[in-house]
Amino acid sequence: MNLAVGLVYAFLLAPIVVVVLAALNSGAYLRFPPEGLSIRWFVAFAHSRSFTRSLRFSLELATVVTVCATVVGTMASLWVVRFSGRFRNTLRILMVAPLAVPGILTGIALLIFFYAVGWEKTGLAGLIVGHTLICVPYVFLITSAVLIRFDRTLEEAARNLGADAFKTFWRITLPLIKGGLISGAVFAFVTSYDEFNISLLLSGVGTTPLPIELFDYLRFSFDPTAAVAGTISIGMALVVVLITQRLVGLESLYLGGG
Amino acid sequence: MAQITLDHLTKRFGDAVAVQDLTLELGSGELVALLGPSGCGKTTTLRMVAGFETPTEGRVRLGDADVTDAPPEKRNCGMVFQNYALFPHLTVEQNVAFGLEMRGIDRTEVRRRVGEIVEKVGLRGLSRRYPRQLSGGQQQRTALARALIINPSVLLLDEPLANLDAKLREEMRFYIRSLQREFHITTLYVTHDQAEALVLADRVAVLMNGVLQQYDPPERVYQRPRSAAVAGFIGLTNLIPGRVRARAGDRVVLDTAGGHVSSLGDASLREGADALLSIRPEHLEFRRPDVSPEDGRNRMRGTVRERTFLGALIDFRVDVGRDLVLRIQGNVSAPERVGDIVAVSFDPAAGWALPRGDG
Amino acid sequence: MAVARAAANGAAADASRRVVGRHLLVAPALAVLVVFFVLPYLNLLVISLMTPSHRAPYLRVLTLGNYTTLLRDPFTWQVIWHTLWIGGVTTAISLVLAYPLAYHLARAPRRLRGVLMVLVISPLLVGVLIRTYGWMILLQDTGLVNQFLRAVGLRGAPLMYNNTGVLIGLVHVFIPFMVLSIAGTIQHIDPELEFAARSLGAGAWRTFWRVVVPLSLPGVFAGTILVFVLTVSSYVIPSLLGGFTVLTVPLLVVRTVTELFNWPGGSAFAILFFVISLAVIWLYVRAMGRAAHLS
Repeated sequence: MNLAVGLVYAFLLAPIVVVVLAALNSGAYLRFPPEGLSIRWFVAFAHSRSFTRSLRFSLELATVVTVCATVVGTMASLWVVRFSGRFRNTLRILMVAPLAVPGILTGIALLIFFYAVGWEKTGLAGLIVGHTLICVPYVFLITSAVLIRFDRTLEEAARNLGADAFKTFWRITLPLIKGGLISGAVFAFVTSYDEFNISLLLSGVGTTPLPIELFDYLRFSFDPTAAVAGTISIGMALVVVLITQRLVGLESLYLGGG
Repeated sequence: MAQITLDHLTKRFGDAVAVQDLTLELGSGELVALLGPSGCGKTTTLRMVAGFETPTEGRVRLGDADVTDAPPEKRNCGMVFQNYALFPHLTVEQNVAFGLEMRGIDRTEVRRRVGEIVEKVGLRGLSRRYPRQLSGGQQQRTALARALIINPSVLLLDEPLANLDAKLREEMRFYIRSLQREFHITTLYVTHDQAEALVLADRVAVLMNGVLQQYDPPERVYQRPRSAAVAGFIGLTNLIPGRVRARAGDRVVLDTAGGHVSSLGDASLREGADALLSIRPEHLEFRRPDVSPEDGRNRMRGTVRERTFLGALIDFRVDVGRDLVLRIQGNVSAPERVGDIVAVSFDPAAGWALPRGDG
Repeated sequence: MAVARAAANGAAADASRRVVGRHLLVAPALAVLVVFFVLPYLNLLVISLMTPSHRAPYLRVLTLGNYTTLLRDPFTWQVIWHTLWIGGVTTAISLVLAYPLAYHLARAPRRLRGVLMVLVISPLLVGVLIRTYGWMILLQDTGLVNQFLRAVGLRGAPLMYNNTGVLIGLVHVFIPFMVLSIAGTIQHIDPELEFAARSLGAGAWRTFWRVVVPLSLPGVFAGTILVFVLTVSSYVIPSLLGGFTVLTVPLLVVRTVTELFNWPGGSAFAILFFVISLAVIWLYVRAMGRAAHLS
């Protein structure tokens, strides 16, 4: 049993490990045994105008989206957990819906919709809208999980001692759900950074996120400069997961049970 | 002037009625225990006073101000929650200081007052600790300090001793009482522990199913319960069904399964009324059945059915006929055994007849 | 008492302001979702009924032509069937591979579970594109797997630009979802039940089949639906790992919209496929329901 499990984990991690190896490989093709270590591909990446430009664009986009998604998602989860009454389930489903439908369809729907309402050059704003749409559910899920566990009597104690609703939230609630907020925010960041399907349809000249740049590159060339972009993503993913595990515990992401 | 006035308070949750037409007044410096079994509405009542629940009907007054619509933060009540609700991310010092900070008191003054009260409740040296680093008793005292430091007009306690072990509970009982007396603060104390209520309170309000059963000083609640429910809830008692045969002054004579019995009785009992005689086990004594009855005392004949050793006492169940079983507690040297025919005797003044069928 | 008295006065106005205030919390999310999610999808439905045109994205003339063209074209059905087939096979393989992982994860001691969760979730955050790229490196003709096969004397195998490559990529990407679904359910199965079965004489294998599997079915159920839906919606993997030989609905829809500029046609196809997937899932749900009744 343990052997089988180990093999599946190996299967899960293989392509990821391979990408990192390719980025560090001195040769253009990954061979086994590896030819040698080198950072030439990192250098090539840094020199590539299109890659560095799209990297910066992706990071900027992700930052804006994170702020929007975190604010919108946290406010929504506060409402759903505490004030939603009989609308609770409807809203829960609605908040998670963008994750349940194919991203590619959402991208197409947005593209066509923007045209229909007369919004021609959507550019950065369009991407922000599209990305926020799929990042909000993650923020929502994580902060909801934290809010449900939150001890409301602490807020009551604060109000009893003279704090109004705002002060209570600021001094008591917020510091205690901080972990959930941070986790949600970093999840949103990475989701936007990696997002492909929606970007495919909404990106334009000058507004090309890294994944799209990469995709175009991969259709025609194959050198490991692309692997450098991959390694950056992998590093980011690890950091986010470790932060989330530390602050909130990854169990809030169980999909079938808890 | 009453410090806390509950005026026909009613609270409904959907179809369920948690509190029904409750009217209560607390005088200055009084400690009133709100006593009742789980689910009787006492915590809901407390929360209405604090402002966390809005009454469906009725008004809450603190002093002469009607606070029914006021939010909790404006009511100036000090509250100690059942789970203490100490802010986990703040130290003892910061927890205690919180209420003062909310009132805009300046830093040096806050520090001085916090230092004072920390000393007073015996938490010296623990100011920089976090709640999770404190014992149950210490957390309790922190919660008390936090509530008292703001000089509240009233103190609200929600089963504050429920989470402590038995020995600590007893210690803290007296401690809370002495603190309350020292601060001379009107206090509403919610508990389901009747021993606690009897020890601590100036007056006890017995609540059952949302309805106020009785509001009297502890001795009166214990010795003169107003209903069978109260009698059964406070301490142990025997409830003997009977019918009023005669009444004179505060005395009644009842027809019971064990014969004619005379006792004190509730003023509302009339001749012919159905009644319950409440007689506590500690007032029943054994007599030899063959010896003639003493003057002025009640007497019933019966058979000992059960004998249980309780440590300091022995618990007997005696069948006095027609399904009536009396519970008697005697000391360890009592010779009676299971199967013995005995006579049970008690002083009429120790019995109390109440109307039957009272909720 | 002055404090309380002053409070009582402003209280009633405060109360109603409080209630409105709190409902404002959900306003932004609701606005975003309605305007940028619900409306666009409704719009998609409307567009699917418009007439295609060469000069503009579409003509404002209502027609069912898009649907009829699609329904009559055998190519449409070929692509739909192929996509569903890929979805089914991927789901099945994922289930088989993910289940042992899920069980192992759910029953692991706390510390280890944390590490394993990191291992399972990290790939999700790396992004589909990067993982697909990794597979390209592995599966190409000159890729690592074929290098290995040739090194041990076997012939190279065509693992990319065909169904095999696509399946491998899809299974890899969506296993974590299956694992998370099932593990969540298994964690809620009291381990004492397994001990009880063992004490009554059932061996490890029997206990697994008779106790764990039946109780984990809700998670399996949710996981299979989730993976199926994600798989048939996938774009990147069939595109990169399938080359031009593997054509799935998402690929065709995107091509119709962005290369052929036939918005109504693309929308109609997307909606048609959506309806068909829903039908497939509905049949699945009913079949599972019936199976549950029989067991």
